[in-house]
Amino acid sequence: MVSLPRAGGTNGIHDEPRHRQPVRIDVEELGKSFGSFTALNDVSLTVRPGELLALLGPSGSGKTTLLRAIAGLTATEEGTIRFDGEDATALGLRERRVGFVFQQYALFRHMTVFDNVAFGLRVRPREERPRAGEIARRVRRLLQLVQLEGLEHRFPSQISGGQRQRVALARALAIEPRVLLLDEPFGALDAKVRKELRRWLRELHTETGLTTIFVTHDQEEALELADRVVVMRAGKIEQIGTPAEIYEEPATPFVCEFLGGAARFEVEAREGETDVLGGTFPIESDAGYSGPAIAYVRAHEIEIVSREMAEGVPAVIRTVRPFGPTITVELSIEGRAERIEADVPRELYDGGEIKEGQGIFIRATSARIFPAG
Amino acid sequence: MTVPPSSAWTPRFGFRRSPSVLPGFGLTMGLTLTWLSLIILIPLAGVSIRSAGLGWEEFAMLAWDPRTVAALKLSFGAALAAAAINTVFGLLVAWVLVRYDFPGRKLVDAAIDLPFALPTAVAGLALTALCAPNGWIGSLLDPLGIKVAYTPAGVVIALVFIGLPFVVRTVQPVLADFDQDLEEAAATLGATRLQTIARVIMPALLPPLLTGFALAFARGVGEYGSIIFIAGNIPYRSEIAPLLIVIRLEEYNYAGATAIAAVMLVISFFLLLVINLLQGWNRRRSGLAV
Amino acid sequence: MTDVSLRTHAAFSSPVGERIRTRAALTVLALVFLALVLILPLAAVFTEALRKGAEPFFAALVEPDALEAVKLTLIVAAIAVPANLLFGLVASWAIAKFEFRGKSFLVTLIDLPFSVSPVISGLVYILLFGAQGFFGQWLAAHGIQIVFAVPGIVLATIFVTFPFVARQLIPLMEAQGTVDEEAALSLGATGFQTFRKVTLPNIKWALLYGVLLSNARAMGEFGAVSVVSGHIRGKTNTMPLHVEILYNEYNFVAAFAVASLLAFLALVTLVLKSALEWRYGGELAASGRH
Repeated sequence: MVSLPRAGGTNGIHDEPRHRQPVRIDVEELGKSFGSFTALNDVSLTVRPGELLALLGPSGSGKTTLLRAIAGLTATEEGTIRFDGEDATALGLRERRVGFVFQQYALFRHMTVFDNVAFGLRVRPREERPRAGEIARRVRRLLQLVQLEGLEHRFPSQISGGQRQRVALARALAIEPRVLLLDEPFGALDAKVRKELRRWLRELHTETGLTTIFVTHDQEEALELADRVVVMRAGKIEQIGTPAEIYEEPATPFVCEFLGGAARFEVEAREGETDVLGGTFPIESDAGYSGPAIAYVRAHEIEIVSREMAEGVPAVIRTVRPFGPTITVELSIEGRAERIEADVPRELYDGGEIKEGQGIFIRATSARIFPAG
Repeated sequence: MTVPPSSAWTPRFGFRRSPSVLPGFGLTMGLTLTWLSLIILIPLAGVSIRSAGLGWEEFAMLAWDPRTVAALKLSFGAALAAAAINTVFGLLVAWVLVRYDFPGRKLVDAAIDLPFALPTAVAGLALTALCAPNGWIGSLLDPLGIKVAYTPAGVVIALVFIGLPFVVRTVQPVLADFDQDLEEAAATLGATRLQTIARVIMPALLPPLLTGFALAFARGVGEYGSIIFIAGNIPYRSEIAPLLIVIRLEEYNYAGATAIAAVMLVISFFLLLVINLLQGWNRRRSGLAV
Repeated sequence: MTDVSLRTHAAFSSPVGERIRTRAALTVLALVFLALVLILPLAAVFTEALRKGAEPFFAALVEPDALEAVKLTLIVAAIAVPANLLFGLVASWAIAKFEFRGKSFLVTLIDLPFSVSPVISGLVYILLFGAQGFFGQWLAAHGIQIVFAVPGIVLATIFVTFPFVARQLIPLMEAQGTVDEEAALSLGATGFQTFRKVTLPNIKWALLYGVLLSNARAMGEFGAVSVVSGHIRGKTNTMPLHVEILYNEYNFVAAFAVASLLAFLALVTLVLKSALEWRYGGELAASGRH
């Protein structure tokens, strides 16, 4: 449905002579509060030119405030935002030239798709405004880019959610923005359209080459789509890194829990080491730490061992979800109220060893340990 | 649950209804229509029967009597002018009340409904006292040679008072519901504040503004109590149509009164139709989810 | 959705809105306009009433004709308001809880009195029951007097306040749907029990709101009542009519004294109305026009 024009095709939006270099964004010590609530607390961040960056976090983490501050939609009390070294906080919204895609798209409902996309060109001062023919040409090209040819004369109420999303993108791109900012770009769409648009946005980013930031609360979306992910919590940045770094080496317990899929264990550490589910693992962030600690073990880090192996922890299979290449089972272990999930190879299931009520032995192959408190 | 077909059809009233398990449709609908007919419909029908009884020529003679025409012109003209003034200031007031925060905002908001609550005669009395040559406002205007009381201008002033809440109260909810994302979107796309207001906000406010205008206008045309004190009621100059009806009635000239009433009713019904269409438009425009 | 609520809160200090000076100028302009149009007339009523001090003020209020006018006003409201309350309940049950063709037409008919000049509302009863009216001779033969008597005043008042309760209830009851009632019926309640124990509690504040507005209009109505009353002092004079008579007799202090009583009533209505809106806004549905 949403297959994209080939990357590097002839219909790029910047075939004007002045092809722009992507912009670098520096956020320095940004602070913002709403009454007694601190939305951004001393946030610093560099967005590399041409990068696709995700701001990931729960509601109230400040991710949307940060995006809006970069756009100039929310005034901040402290800190600076620089576009290629130039202080953007001194610029008005108009001079900042950011393409902003709103969560609910904010399409002008009394204007057709064409008029929506043309809006940014038509409101330019007379001396900078392209002529009507030129505006029409550019709007057509953008609609082609977002694959909405033929829908020019429809009103926003007459097209689907995914199509509105793409109109909003085309409208933002029409002003030849220096950066592209998207607030929960897929938040209002159903699961299937989400997936398609995700891939499409990735390709569009390759095509435009624009420095792009998007906000999401969906960790899967962030990890799958972004070059780098910024995890935020309570107005602060918890971790910045590539999706692999974030996933493999979560910097804090919060990141670990927010990414989900990990079982949490409260354990005791002795001199930088701790035992979890039959394995012994180091505390990487604090070698030599002794005292209470928290351990996270992901489903794929649990293996089933044979009875003979001494380290195995006894467990009982409670439910089996036999879909996909690996089988997910829910286990209960002694001394723990919550069940834990484990991924087991399909062969074991096919071999008939995995069934509900079956007692087995398990062992963690890897774990992330953080000092508690 | 199945409903016998007989209960889904109420031939007495000619209203076909969809099946429902709730009781009492026949009873309540019957009472509604009876009461409505007795209080509103039959008495109003009396006016049309009366005017039909006049015959076309007599009706035309009565309706086109120069004094009647002057009174109708004044009623409609002043209502139009006041509705126009109220559209401008009503928009301003609604905008300030919805968008800006200032001390006492809730109080001011509550005060908007004063013209709805204040008896029209009291309003008329008060405005006359203000605008008379020795009143607070009149004494300021009098040296400038501006006369408000006992002139058509006084009629307009009374109608501005009466009509203001109609515009404010129609515009206010639409403005409050207006999605601020749209304004921000326009701003990020490079629109100036004036461009945003003209191209993005005003199109959404147009239906409620027109509705408010029509409501204020309709009310102004028929207004009586607040005007008769301030207007001075000089025939051909500051005499409004409803007052002329009263005068004809006092002369026991029922035919003359009926003719004026018929003309006003026809125009009012037309206005009512327009208002309903506008409100439908309003709902559709604001109901579209985007 | 903390993000969303924060944003609406932040929207007023957002870089998108008008500049602070523009805001201040517009706010001042709106407030000056409202002070001129709404507050000044209200102040004038009380100032004029107390111009000669408290004694003539109270004398005007306790004078027998004034007391008779107060009494008649209370009697008229005591009949008209419950009548419209009952009608409002019955009509909104039939209209809001059932689906049938012609519904919007019926609602338009109920709204008719809003679009008709109050003078015409009085006129229609003269045409029916006056000496030259359709039933005039028959009534005279049987010694029944309707116009220029209390029944006419009550009828005209019912006419002008007809839509108040119904139009408050219909949108609210439509929004509430029929699920609650269906649940009650399925649990074995009778139709009337369902109405009393399920429907009524859901609409009580809106009902009170409608009654409040209807009462304010009933006590303050001037045009319609003026036409049917005959202005017989101490007999068919309501308070607004008494104000007019006093004013026409150049007894200004007394006129404004009675007027200030009505203005006070309007203020009480506004306070109660605002209290209902602030406290039970969600249960009143859109109040719309009155």
